[in-house]
Amino acid sequence: MSTERVFFAFIIVLALTLNVGFVAGDIVEIRHHNVYELFAALVVSLIATVMKFGDRSALGSSMLATSLVADLQLVAAATAWGLYSQGGNLLTAHESATVVSLAIGATVANVVSVVLLIVETASLRR
Amino acid sequence: MTPPLGTRHGIFLLLRRLRPPLVVLIAVYAVAVLGFTLVPGTDPSGQPWKMSFLHAFYFVSFLGTTIGLGEIPFPFSDPQRLWATASIYATVIAWLYAIGALFSALGDPMFRRIVHESRMERAVRRIKEPFYLLCGYGDAGAHVARELAGDGTRVVVMDASSERIDALDTDDLPVTVPALCGDATEPRSLVLAGLTSPHCVGVIALTGDDFVNTKITLTARLLNPNVPVLCAAHDHATHARMAAVGASQIINPSDNFAARVALAVRTPSQHVIYESLTTRRGTAMGEPIALPRGLWLLCGSGLFVRTLRRELKKLDIDTVLIDNELDFVVANTNLVKGDPTDPEVLERAGIDKATAVVAGTDVDVDNLAIVLTTRSLSKSIFIVARQTQRRNSSVFRAAPADLVTLSGYVIAAEVLRFIRAPQLATFLRQARDQDEEWSAALLAKMRDVIGDAIVESWSVHLCAEEAPAICNALKEGKPLSIESLLARTGTDGKLLRAIPLLLQNGSKRELLPALDTALTEDDRVLFCGKASARMRMRYGISSG
Repeated sequence: MSTERVFFAFIIVLALTLNVGFVAGDIVEIRHHNVYELFAALVVSLIATVMKFGDRSALGSSMLATSLVADLQLVAAATAWGLYSQGGNLLTAHESATVVSLAIGATVANVVSVVLLIVETASLRR
Repeated sequence: MTPPLGTRHGIFLLLRRLRPPLVVLIAVYAVAVLGFTLVPGTDPSGQPWKMSFLHAFYFVSFLGTTIGLGEIPFPFSDPQRLWATASIYATVIAWLYAIGALFSALGDPMFRRIVHESRMERAVRRIKEPFYLLCGYGDAGAHVARELAGDGTRVVVMDASSERIDALDTDDLPVTVPALCGDATEPRSLVLAGLTSPHCVGVIALTGDDFVNTKITLTARLLNPNVPVLCAAHDHATHARMAAVGASQIINPSDNFAARVALAVRTPSQHVIYESLTTRRGTAMGEPIALPRGLWLLCGSGLFVRTLRRELKKLDIDTVLIDNELDFVVANTNLVKGDPTDPEVLERAGIDKATAVVAGTDVDVDNLAIVLTTRSLSKSIFIVARQTQRRNSSVFRAAPADLVTLSGYVIAAEVLRFIRAPQLATFLRQARDQDEEWSAALLAKMRDVIGDAIVESWSVHLCAEEAPAICNALKEGKPLSIESLLARTGTDGKLLRAIPLLLQNGSKRELLPALDTALTEDDRVLFCGKASARMRMRYGISSG
C-alpha cells in the first residue's frame, strides 16, 4: 500500500461519486441539483486528469482519455449553467435538462475510468 | 513499423514532473473560487449578495495572473476583500511554483537528452537517400563531413562530446547534417543514428580511440552486416582485431604517411600523380619534390616515427632516432637520447651529415621548436613536421618546414578516396609497385592529355543502370573497346581528354589498359581527366 496509490484511487472514485451525486434527482428540476456539487465534481475531475498524466502504459492512456472526456462534459455543463443563470434567474426545464444531461455524460466517462482502475489493480495482484 | 523509442518519452517525463504543481494550481484556484461564492457581500442597494461561480471564476482568473481589473460587479465588502487578499498570495505563489517547476523540468539534462535523441531519430528517419554514418567529429571527422556535404552526400554525425556537436552547427555545411551527441560504444546510440537504416551505405569510425573504433566496427558488423565500415587505427596492435571484427578498410595515418614518403623517395613522379588524383584541386603540373636519400634524423619515438623508420630502412636510408625517453643504450649509433629541441643534441646526432629531419613527436609545440632549431642550424636541410592539432595550422604554415603532415587530414583524405573512388585506391596500391620510369611516362601522358586543368578521376561501371547504351551495344554483339568510350561524343574523331587508369572485372585487374582493349559487360573502368570529359562520357554512355 502506498499513499500515492491511495490518493490516486481516492480522487478517481471521488470524481465518480460527486458526479453521480450531482445528477441524482429530476432532470428537469434544477432545484434537485446543487451548484457546489457540480463545482466539486469539476475540480476533482481536473485533478484526476492531472494525476493520470505521464503514464505510458495502454491502460494509463485510456484512463487519461476517459478523464479528458469527463472534464469536457463537466466544463460544458458548468458553462451552460453560468450562461443560463444570468441575472440570477432560475433555470427552465429545458435549460436544466441540458446541464444535467451533460453531467450524466461525464458520469459514464467516470464509470469507465473506475472500471479501468479496477482492471489495473486486478492485473497488478496477479 | 516500430514506434520511435524516445519520441513520446520526453513528453511523458515532462507531464509526470508537472503533476504536483498542476494539482496545487487547480486546488488553489478551486478554493479561491469556492470562497468567493460563499463570502457575503452587499449590492449597491444594500441587499446581501453572494458572487455566482461565473463571477468568482472570472475574478480569480484575473487576480491570479495579477492583472487586477478592480472589484466587480459591485465594490467588495470587507470579508470579500480579506478573502481576495488571501487569494492573491495563494494564487501567485501557486503560479510561481508551477512555472518554476516547468522550467526546471525543461532544463533537466535527462529531458534535454531525450528531446535531442528523439529529434535526431526523426531527422535520421527522414533521410530517404543513401547516407554515411560518421562517428567522431574531430579534425578528421570534420574534414570528411565537410567534403561529403560539399559533394551533396548525406551524412549523419555522432560524437560523444557535446562541444564538437555544437561546433558542427557553426561549421555551416551545405546540406543538413543531423548530429547526435551520444556514446558510440553504446549500440543503442548507433541505431538511433541510423546504423540499421536501409539507407545507410557506410559507417566511418574516426573517434580517435582505437578501442571505440573497434567497438563501432563490431556493432556495425553484427547489426547491419551489409554495410561497409571504414575504420581509423593508430596502433598497429589493433589492426588484427579490427580486421577480425569485420572492418572493410583500416586506415592508419602513420602507415599512410610513411608509405607516401617512401613513394616520394622512390618514385618522385608518382608522388605528383598521387597528389593530383587525391587532392580536390590537384593538377598534373606539380614539380616532383626531391626527397634526399642521405641520413634522416627522426625526432620522437612514437608510432609515427617508428613506422617511417621502417619504411626508410626498406629503401636503404640511414636513420637516427632522437628522443628524451629512449631506454636503449646510448652507445647504439642509431639512437640518441636527449631533447631534440636542444641544438646540442641535434649536433650530437649528426645534423651536419644529415639530409633530412623529421619533427615527429606527439606534441605540436615540440615539433615546431625542432623545426626552428633545425632551420637555425642548417638552411638547406629538408624538414618534415608532424602536426597533431588542426587549430595550429596557421603556425605550421608559417614555420620553415618543407613538408607538414596533419594526421587528421591524412585520415580524411584516405576515407574520402574510398568513398569517392573505390577503384582509385586499388589503382594507387597497384601503382606503388611500379618504378620511376613507368611513373614518369604516365605523368608525361597526363600532362599531355589533361594539361594544367584540374585532374579528376571517375569510375565507369558497364551495367544496365549506369551505361545502358554500352550494354545494349555489347548485347547485340558489337565489339567495343575503351577507345569507343572515349570517342563516343568527341567531335570529328577526336578523343575525350581522359586516360584509362584501371580496368577491373571481378578479380581481373589491368593497370593502364591500352585503348584497344575489348570491353565486356560488368567491367569497371577508372579514368582520370578533365571535368568536362567526365561529364561528356557520362552523357555518352547513358544516352548513346
